[in-house]
Amino acid sequence: MLKRSTLALLSLALLGGALAAPKKVSGYNALGIVNGKTGGSYTLTLGDSPQSLFYYGVIDNNLGLISQQMFDGLVEFNLATYKIEPALAESWTISPDGRTYTFKLRQGVKWSDGQAFDADDVVFTYKNIIMNPEARAGDVGNFRLDGKNVEIAKVDASTVRFTLPRAAPAFLLQQRYFIMPRHKLLKFSQEGGAKAADINGAWPTNVNETEVVGTGPFKLATYTAGQKVTLTRNPNYWKVDAAGKKLPYLDRLEFLVIRDPQAQVAQFLAGNLDQLNITGAQFPDLKQKEVAGAPFKVMRSTALFGSPPFVAYNFDAKDPALAKVFSDVRFRRAMQGAVNRERIIETVYNGLASLPGHGVAPANKAFYTNTTKQLGSFNLSAVNEALDAIGLSRKNAAGIRLLPNGRPLEFDLTYGTDSSVYPPIATILQSDFAKVGVKVNLKGILSSRLLSTGQSGDWEMILHAFGDQPDPELRRPIWQPGGSLYYWHRSTQPAKDGDPAIVSRMAKWERDIYNIFNDAATTTSASQRKALYTRWQLIFAQNLPVTPIAKPENIGAISNKYGNYVYNLGVIPGYNPVPLIFQK
Amino acid sequence: MLTYALRRILGMIPTLVLISVVCFTVIQLQPGSFIDQYLDDPRVTKETVASITRQLGLDQPLWVQYLTWIRGIVTEGDFGYSFVNGRPVSSLIWERLGWTVFLALLTLVVSWVIAVPLGIYTAINRYGPSATIMNFLGYISLATPDFLVALLLIALVLNAGGTNVGGLFSPDFIDAPWSWARVRDLLGHLWIPMIAIGLEGVAGLMRQMRASMLDVINQDYIRTARSKGVTPQRVLWRHAVRNAINPLISLAGMSLPSLISGTIIASIVLNLPTIGPFLYDSLLNKDQYVAMTLLLFSALLLLIGNLLADLALAWADPRIRYE
Repeated sequence: MLKRSTLALLSLALLGGALAAPKKVSGYNALGIVNGKTGGSYTLTLGDSPQSLFYYGVIDNNLGLISQQMFDGLVEFNLATYKIEPALAESWTISPDGRTYTFKLRQGVKWSDGQAFDADDVVFTYKNIIMNPEARAGDVGNFRLDGKNVEIAKVDASTVRFTLPRAAPAFLLQQRYFIMPRHKLLKFSQEGGAKAADINGAWPTNVNETEVVGTGPFKLATYTAGQKVTLTRNPNYWKVDAAGKKLPYLDRLEFLVIRDPQAQVAQFLAGNLDQLNITGAQFPDLKQKEVAGAPFKVMRSTALFGSPPFVAYNFDAKDPALAKVFSDVRFRRAMQGAVNRERIIETVYNGLASLPGHGVAPANKAFYTNTTKQLGSFNLSAVNEALDAIGLSRKNAAGIRLLPNGRPLEFDLTYGTDSSVYPPIATILQSDFAKVGVKVNLKGILSSRLLSTGQSGDWEMILHAFGDQPDPELRRPIWQPGGSLYYWHRSTQPAKDGDPAIVSRMAKWERDIYNIFNDAATTTSASQRKALYTRWQLIFAQNLPVTPIAKPENIGAISNKYGNYVYNLGVIPGYNPVPLIFQK
Repeated sequence: MLTYALRRILGMIPTLVLISVVCFTVIQLQPGSFIDQYLDDPRVTKETVASITRQLGLDQPLWVQYLTWIRGIVTEGDFGYSFVNGRPVSSLIWERLGWTVFLALLTLVVSWVIAVPLGIYTAINRYGPSATIMNFLGYISLATPDFLVALLLIALVLNAGGTNVGGLFSPDFIDAPWSWARVRDLLGHLWIPMIAIGLEGVAGLMRQMRASMLDVINQDYIRTARSKGVTPQRVLWRHAVRNAINPLISLAGMSLPSLISGTIIASIVLNLPTIGPFLYDSLLNKDQYVAMTLLLFSALLLLIGNLLADLALAWADPRIRYE
């Protein structure tokens, strides 16, 4: 008798724990968030059919967009401040030496099929998927520091511990990886006896909908190839609003597959889509319709994430005379004066962009250092003088400057043709460079080939864009000399990933940046890291490994039927305002 | 007749093998590789790229890749694996085939039903004002690309306050079970692709029918029939049209491959769930087995279409014999 009542008490206590679990989402008054009402559906668009339903099996933006609504990570962003907040992990501790991270998991969280979520799921996801080198969209590189592996272990059913070979202050920020259900994926994993590469074949697009199970606000309902993906509310979601009401507010989330951007706008205008992210080029037309009384709003917001375009000169260009000129910081600094940023922002972006930072978005309060002065101003006569001063004063009959070897200063500018911004920017650069005696030949390729062309080294000047992130550490392969994406100076890259960069081939300022990134990666003091990255931005602005052009704004259009809209760039794990959106 | 058909079918095999080699070569000549998209992501290390290359068999010599693919087709009917979707090619194509065939056949039928009578009419009333207007419209629609017509129609519908701008269904009906409401919704959307895709075909067929009619009505046997007192109706339908339609049968046979590649841009603009955009994507991504299978399929359709056209000609025209 006594035994039974203890059992009852125990299960009551467990139940109590389960009820106490939800995360309260509050404090977003500044973003205009109010308490909403439950119900309704919300229609968005995908640029193409998702290629799979398993997030770590393919790198696919469309899959990312729906995965973001079906899965969560241990931590997430605060929607207003971009600070890290608890998600599936309720709390965590970091050891004083910065090497041990212990995550306490949220109690009572259930997968969308009702199974309990626990530490086994987390360990499974990290070990078999994220740290699996055969998983096509895993991230094994982030779990090897100085050639040693990060260890992950289950402490108890609701505690997980990571042990790092050295301190890594950005580690917490990275743990926004979507956690996957062990009970559904075990059979595709090494732990379940399959081959390491088999995990990529989990959840193909013809999988039974009930197999795709997550902890996110929504779960998969139907998938119609080439046409539509429908998600429905996950009744087990672990967030509540400020008033304690269960989130998400919406019953259904629909994604229409529409490939053509013009067709997307047409569907939005016809009322078949409720929200659409648009470009600066599409802004005037939609804004005009809004002002004329159309039932939607067009909202601009400054962007933290997103890709600011830049131009880079190939320090290792095949023509040694060109390589020498491009490696000369005086040349790059001089040519910056021929980059007409104001005009590009006005005509290409319709004014919906601002001056860029150097590797850090100006909206990034935690790390941005104001380097606007170093951007200089558009001044062709100053450019002419500066080029004369570095020994490029001789010109041929056509007015093109001559290199020291007597050949004209003429090179290709590689850019993406299938973009609304690259071609006009390339033309503006070409025409202004011509005015200072530098002949540029436009070489258009598909935008999707820009990076592989960059990394192949077969180019002279390139117009490309890389994304800004909240913490520079997350973009280290791009900005640290010798990093795998530092392709404008490929001779500094090691032959094998993970080996140290070839420091002897770096210029003095590149060595400085190299050291800054190494130091900042292990410094645990936040203020010291900020100081290091401030120095990096100043060196960047002075020496221009690449010349940033503009930081485009984010523009979204939203139907008036909905409340609590917060701009959402797309696939940013851990940044998901959709659960708060409600139908009025 | 049967031996003729069999001979033709056997002759298709070496042709298809040759075509498959050409397709494979052309796809390999295209710059870049499927792996390129992985380079774009800072998450992916060089080791991961190497292991994906190995997983997909892209580290093998080209001739091995080709022979493995062909062997799969011959021995198991396996058309390979889509790199992008991680699924067998054949199941992906099946998923998209239904609407593609439906749209193509419907467009074909509609354009024939409109074009053939128009062609006959404009041939007989060669100098009449209505025929001149029709010819003029025919020229214009021949000269206007299908995607442009599609865009114009979308703009028109939008300005009229309509919501049927692209796709085959309204969002609510896409995965709904069949019902009268769903059929009505389909009809409400279907007319735009019918016009956009069909218009060009109508104009072309109409010109062909007209030319062919003009040829025929000056022939001796038409004059003979007339002078023997056969009614003009009977001369027209029984003798003239029946002979004039022969070139169109060959044309119909050749239009089969347009199932796959004919309407790529219009399908993208109108957001139609057909195979065209799928082929376009597989070429862009270098998803080689999908692209090769679709190209091979398209070649096969052309061969089959030609064969069917020849057989139909033999049936329609007593002068043609294949024995």
